[in-house]
Amino acid sequence: MYNQSSIGSFASTTTVAKPNPMNDYEVVQPPDDSISSLAFSPAAIPQTFLVAGSWDNNVRLWEIEQSGTSIPKSMQSCGGPVLDVAWSEDGTKVFMAGCEKQAKMWDLASNQVVQVAVHDAPIKTCHWIPNYPCLMTGSWDKTLKFWDTRSPTPMLSINLPERCYCADVDYPMAVVGTANRHIIVYQLEGKPQEFKKLDSPLKYQHRCMKIFKDKKKQPAGYALGSIEGRVAIQYVNPTTVKDNFTFKCHRSNGTPNGFQDIYAVNDVAFHPVHGTLATVGSDGTFSFWDKDARTKLKASSEMEQSISTCAFNHNGQIFAYAVSYDWSKGHEYHNPQKKNYIYLRSCFDELKPRPTS
Amino acid sequence: MGRKKKKQSKPWCWYCNREFDDEKILIQHQKAKHFKCHICHKKLYTGPGLSIHCMQVHKETIDKVPNSLPNRSNVDIEIYGMEGIPAADLKEHERQKQNSRGAESSDEDEPANKRPKPEGLLGNAPPGMQVLPPGMIHGMVHPPPGMPPGMQMMSMGHMAGHPFMHPSMTQHMMAQHMMMQGQPGPPKPLFPSAVPSSSPGAAVVGADFKPISSGATISAPPTTNTPSGSGQGAKVNTIAATGASSKIIHPLEDISLEEIRARDPKYCKNDWQKNDDRGSSTSTAGSELSIAVSAAQAVAANHAVIQAKAHEAQQQHMAMMGRMAAAAAGYPVRVSGPPLAVVAGSPVMAGPTMGVLRGPLIGGPLMRPPHLGMPPGMIQMPPGMMYGAPMFPGHMIMQPRFR
Repeated sequence: MYNQSSIGSFASTTTVAKPNPMNDYEVVQPPDDSISSLAFSPAAIPQTFLVAGSWDNNVRLWEIEQSGTSIPKSMQSCGGPVLDVAWSEDGTKVFMAGCEKQAKMWDLASNQVVQVAVHDAPIKTCHWIPNYPCLMTGSWDKTLKFWDTRSPTPMLSINLPERCYCADVDYPMAVVGTANRHIIVYQLEGKPQEFKKLDSPLKYQHRCMKIFKDKKKQPAGYALGSIEGRVAIQYVNPTTVKDNFTFKCHRSNGTPNGFQDIYAVNDVAFHPVHGTLATVGSDGTFSFWDKDARTKLKASSEMEQSISTCAFNHNGQIFAYAVSYDWSKGHEYHNPQKKNYIYLRSCFDELKPRPTS
Repeated sequence: MGRKKKKQSKPWCWYCNREFDDEKILIQHQKAKHFKCHICHKKLYTGPGLSIHCMQVHKETIDKVPNSLPNRSNVDIEIYGMEGIPAADLKEHERQKQNSRGAESSDEDEPANKRPKPEGLLGNAPPGMQVLPPGMIHGMVHPPPGMPPGMQMMSMGHMAGHPFMHPSMTQHMMAQHMMMQGQPGPPKPLFPSAVPSSSPGAAVVGADFKPISSGATISAPPTTNTPSGSGQGAKVNTIAATGASSKIIHPLEDISLEEIRARDPKYCKNDWQKNDDRGSSTSTAGSELSIAVSAAQAVAANHAVIQAKAHEAQQQHMAMMGRMAAAAAGYPVRVSGPPLAVVAGSPVMAGPTMGVLRGPLIGGPLMRPPHLGMPPGMIQMPPGMMYGAPMFPGHMIMQPRFR
């Protein structure tokens, strides 16, 4: 069922619950603690680099070769767990933000790190907006701030109704999902401005969100994942109400006693070429979906631990996912002895949309 | 199919007393829940229809309508949606509604009306006991206002009355119901294998995309949805249970996993959460000082209260001064764990980076290096060349690589 064509040295491991049930390429020297964020380098640079932020306070950088080999390149430390990482559009810098309430800019050429943003509480999200240019940071201090990296004060600070839990940027659109299920859409042209406050289509805590594009490659809406195994696809300007919908995912298939376990959707990512999407969950699986055909394209086997985050590279050839504990069962289930993994999957064909019949 | 009198606000199912927003959905519900053949899963249109189908096709006698309340299991009464409901029962329902609803808005009683339903799904749960995640007791403490007394007992009776409704089968019906709800056409015999599934072998749940407009009502059937925001005694900051037959794998507290995790002593050992003084977060000098402070406080505890307070304040003041001095002196503020700090201590970063780092805290833009003007080409260094210093602890891969 889960046959994959190009399998390297892991061909022998086929049983489920083994570390690598999908036989994907394993990134060497993974972080020592859970992986909070993954980001691939942009198209501007010829090589492919992957950065990962971790709860072990470090941000690591690998070069990913065509063969699937990963080469550790560099690492930077932060003063606290890292919650988000982002690339600059030219691929020269990496931004990292987290529990130390600061965002930092890592200049890869000089290997220097400078602080570029500060909040009153840990920073949950950071996104680079090349058009300004500026860094957008969303924090648990209930603010969204925009930083010119050369100035110690933010260009703009916007108050949020609640703590920022998830955000995404695709110029000229930005979205933020907060605690207590608020959604705010911003338009970034000219000056970042609130465009719309929306009622959540979901009944449970927001956890992840990503903007998707329409056929003209313009940002059209977003996918929002919640802790209750559900993702909402929302258009900012839906042509009909039927355009917006939710779907269930990351739920157990009915245990013997008829009890269903519902897991959090930890991350969602859109394929940059096909516009299809991937979700990863606390249940330790990833799934690929076609939102237009409203079908599931693929479901993975279950990993050893939850999948905490995922990312596509710029041309959609590689799907990276991080197998590490996400705290969904509390600290009691945290086993620091368990290795964390980042896997790379050749995914281009698997994410092709359903042929329209 | 016309709607009933204005007073009757919502269509309801005679067999299970459940209310629906729309009669169409009620009919879907009845077909899926009460008029479906347990052998071949064909959906019939009425109770008598089901009985005749079972008799003729499978040579089996059906004496009760599946999933119905004990006093409503009659297979001979022909009911389709709201049509055919005995007048007495209609009146009785109306009366109960009036009583239970009172001034409440019709939206508020949704969860309450859905409450009775899971009993039918909970095949083998102890009778009358709602299976709730630990800590979710409030669901039991506050019985839903719309629930008639004795409902639990009735459900028990109902369960006992349907030995053939095997739990796994109920599950199955749920799944099918979910899969089929978008198809209004005449029902075809539906075998489990005929369930349209997007990927063979994939989980049935999760494969159902559904429009949100109808999701509010349709998503409800398999589980009780108690909206987290609604009253029902649920605390605002806890995660409400989805229903008796499912469990959300998440800590009870309704804050993000990251916030919960960040509170863990393992991650806030540097005290970044409570202490606003960022300088102390990782600086070894800072932590030494804080140890000194606590030691001093311990000593101070032996003194008179006022004395101690003064002493403490003094100590803290000193500690702060010390930190500032440490920062000014360029102590490693940013770099954390000892082994990394050692490896990471490349000559390139040590000096200038520190100064720059502290800069913004003090407030001058003057210390920022020019960086945005850097040409993108800078990163296109020869393959194999490392960015800065090699910094992974353990074996370093340094040999040049060519693609």
